[in-house]
Amino acid sequence: MDLTYTPEQQAFRAEVRAWIEAHVPKEPLVTLECREGYDQHVAWERTLASGNWGMVTWPEAYGGRGLDLIQWLIFEEEYFRAGGPNRANQNGIFLLGPTIMEFGTEEQKARFLPPMARGEVIWAQAWSEPGAGSDMAAIQSKAVRDGDHYVITGQKTWSSRAAFADWGFGIFRTDPDSKRHKGLTFILFDLNSPGITRRPIRQLHGDTGFAELFFDEVRVPVENCLAGEGEGWNVAMATAGFERGLMLRSPGRFQATAKRLVELYRAHEAEASPAAREAVLQAWVQTQAYAYNTYAVASKIMAGGKIGAEASLNKIFWSELDRMMHRTAMQILGAHAELKRFGNGQINQWLEGYIFSLSGPIYAGSNEVQRNIIAERLLGLPRVGAG
Amino acid sequence: MDFRFSDDQLTLTESVRDYLAGTHGPEVLRRLDEQGNRDPAIWQGLVEMGLTGLLVPEEHGGLGLGLVEAALIAAECGRACLAEPLVDTAFVAVPWLVRRGELGDLAAIAAGERLVPLPHVLNPWVADGSGQPLQSVDPLRNLVMFPAAGSSDPYLLDLGALMSSAQLVGLADAMLHQAVEYAKIRTQFGQPVGAFQALKHQLASCAVAIEFAKPAVWRAAQALQDGGESASVHVSHAKVTAGDAALLTAETAIQVHGAMGYTYEVDLHFWMKRSWALNGAWGDRAWHLKRIDQAVIGGALPIGPEHTFA
Ligand SMILES: Cc1cc2nc3c(=O)[nH]c(=O)nc-3n(C[C@H](O)[C@H](O)[C@H](O)COP(=O)(O)OP(=O)(O)OC[C@H]3O[C@@H](n4cnc5c(N)ncnc54)[C@H](O)[C@@H]3O)c2cc1C
Repeated sequence: MDLTYTPEQQAFRAEVRAWIEAHVPKEPLVTLECREGYDQHVAWERTLASGNWGMVTWPEAYGGRGLDLIQWLIFEEEYFRAGGPNRANQNGIFLLGPTIMEFGTEEQKARFLPPMARGEVIWAQAWSEPGAGSDMAAIQSKAVRDGDHYVITGQKTWSSRAAFADWGFGIFRTDPDSKRHKGLTFILFDLNSPGITRRPIRQLHGDTGFAELFFDEVRVPVENCLAGEGEGWNVAMATAGFERGLMLRSPGRFQATAKRLVELYRAHEAEASPAAREAVLQAWVQTQAYAYNTYAVASKIMAGGKIGAEASLNKIFWSELDRMMHRTAMQILGAHAELKRFGNGQINQWLEGYIFSLSGPIYAGSNEVQRNIIAERLLGLPRVGAG
Repeated sequence: MDFRFSDDQLTLTESVRDYLAGTHGPEVLRRLDEQGNRDPAIWQGLVEMGLTGLLVPEEHGGLGLGLVEAALIAAECGRACLAEPLVDTAFVAVPWLVRRGELGDLAAIAAGERLVPLPHVLNPWVADGSGQPLQSVDPLRNLVMFPAAGSSDPYLLDLGALMSSAQLVGLADAMLHQAVEYAKIRTQFGQPVGAFQALKHQLASCAVAIEFAKPAVWRAAQALQDGGESASVHVSHAKVTAGDAALLTAETAIQVHGAMGYTYEVDLHFWMKRSWALNGAWGDRAWHLKRIDQAVIGGALPIGPEHTFA
C-alpha cells in the first residue's frame, strides 16, 4: 500500500489544475435540462475536448490520453475542485464508451469513439420502457431484421438527455419468440432517424430532464448492433456495471459537496441543530470513505482485477450519501430552503441538488434492486421465492 | 499511489485467518467462557506464529513489520473473537514502547513471556492486568481497574483506537457471516428466511457499511505508520465508521436470528459483546467525532476533492 502520489502524478495534477482553472466557466451554467443549458454544456464538452481532456483514460487513437485510473481520479478531483459542470456526455464517455471498447469491432471503435471524445455526438441511454423498469428483462420494443437493417418498433422512456441528444443506445427484442433475458440485442441509433418521435418529460424540478422515445418502423443498419444478435443482455449488464461501479460518480463530486456543506454549516453554526452538525461530520466521513474505496477499486483494476456485484455496494453508498448531504443542507437552510433563488439573487443550488439527489436511489438500478443483488450474489442468500 | 495490500501482507493475513479458523472456533469461546477465560495453549500458538513479535524490531527477536500488517491481523483477531491479549500487548503496547525508546521488554514480549496492558486516561481499566477485577458485558474480557493513573499520550490512544477499529471490522464481518448462514438454513413459511427481502435488505445494508468502513481503517493504519500530522483524525474516522458498522451488524444479526439470537447458546453473543466493548474503548464515538469535528468544521484539516490523502 502506498498512499502517496508520485512526482509524475503531482505534476499531472498541476497540469490539470492550470488548464481547468483557465477554462472552467466563470458562472455556473444554466441547468442541462433545458435547451439553453444543454447547448452551454455541449459547448463545454467541446472546450474540454479542445484541450484533449474529454476522457483521459481512453487510448490516444480514440481521442483520449491513454492515462491510468489513478490519473483519471486526479483529473476528476481537480475537475470538481474547480466546480466543473455536469458532463453532458456522461452516458457516452462513462457508459457506452467503455462498453464499445469491450464489445465493439475495430470499425465501431473508430467510428463511434472519437466523435464521442470530441463532444460532437451526445448520447442518450434508452433501456427503460413503460413496462420494463427494474425488471429490464421485460423489454418489448422490437427490432426485426430486414436485409441489412433492423426495423425498430416500440417505446422507450426516462431516457436522460434524449430530448436534445444526437444518438441513443438501448436493447431491443430481436427474437420475437424469446422471453426475458434471451433474444435481446444492443443497438446504437441516430435519434434523428425517420420514425423516431421524442416527447420530453418534465421532471420534479419542472425542467425536461428526460424524454420518451417512440419508434415507428425505424430503420437502423445492422452494423449498429454491438456484439452479436441476442447478446444484448450481457452487454447491457456490462454497461450497467460501469454505471454503478467506478465511472459514473467519481468521489470528487461528493467531496466538493461535502466541502460546501461544511462551509454552509459554518455560516449557520449559531442556529443549526446538533443533528445537523453530526450529519455534516458524516458528510466528510462518508465522502472520504467513498474516495478511499474508489482508489482501492482503481488500484485493483489497474492490477488486472475486475469488479462485479460489488458495484452495487458502491451505488447504494454514493446515492444515499448524496441525498443525506443535500437533506442536511436543506435543514441548515431552514426557512430559506424553499427559495429557488435567495434574496441576493443567487440560485439555491442546494434545493436543485436535493431534488436531483432524490433520483439517485432510483436511477442506475433502484437501491432496492441493488440490495437484492448484494444479498443474492455477494452474500449468497436464496433468491426470492426459493424454497 | 496503490491502495492495495502486497502479496506478502495478504499471505500473512490468510495464514492467520486459516490458523484461527482451524484452532479457535466458537466451541473454543464456549469452553473458555466456562473454564477461566484464558488458555496458555492458545497463547503459545500465537507466539509460535510470530504474532507477539509482529511489530518488535528484528534485532529484538521480532518480525519488524508495521501497523498496516498489525491492523490486518487485528481484523482477523476480531473475526475469530480472539480473547487472548495479543492486540493490546503486541499491536498497541509494542509500537508505543518503541516510540518511547523503551526497548527492554521487547524480546520478552516477542517470546510471549510478557504482557503489557497499558491504561489510558480514557479507559482506566485494562484487560489481563493485575488489580481490582471489573466485570465487562464481554464474558471473555478480563478487565481490572488499573491501580496507577493512565497515560494521556495521544499516540497510545491512537494505537488503541486504530487496533480496536480493525478488530471491529473483523467482528462485523463475522457477525454478518453468521447471520447470513443462519438465514439460509432457518425456514419459515416454507422457505429459508433469507429469501425474505426484509431480511436481505438489512443484511445488504450491513455489507455496505462494512465495505466502506474497511478502507478508512487501512488508510488510518497507513497514516499512523507514516506519522503524518493528520493521522489522528484518520484514526478517529476509522473508529467511528468501524464502530457504527459493527453495531449495525450486531443489531441486524440478532434480529435475523430471532429468539435464537437472544440466547446465550448461539455464539453470536460473543462477537456482539466484544463489539460493544471495543466501540467504547480507546475513545468512544463522541470523543472521536469531536476530533473529527475540530479537524473538519474547526478547519484544522484541508478538505475537498483535491485533499483525499491530506
Ligand atoms: C433521473 C432519472 C434518470 C434516468 N435516466 C434513464 C436513462 O437515461 N435511460 C433509461 O433507460 N432509464 C433511465 N431512468 C430510469 C431508471 O432506470 C428506472 O427508473 C429504474 O430502473 C427503476 O424503474 P421504474 O422507475 O420503472 O421503477 P419500478 O421498477 O416500477 O420500481 C418502483 C419501486 O418498486 C421497487 N422494486 C421494483 N422491483 C423490485 C424488486 N425486485 N425488489 C424490491 N423492490 C423492487 C423499486 O425499487 C421502486 O422502489 C432514469 C430514471 C431517473 C429517475
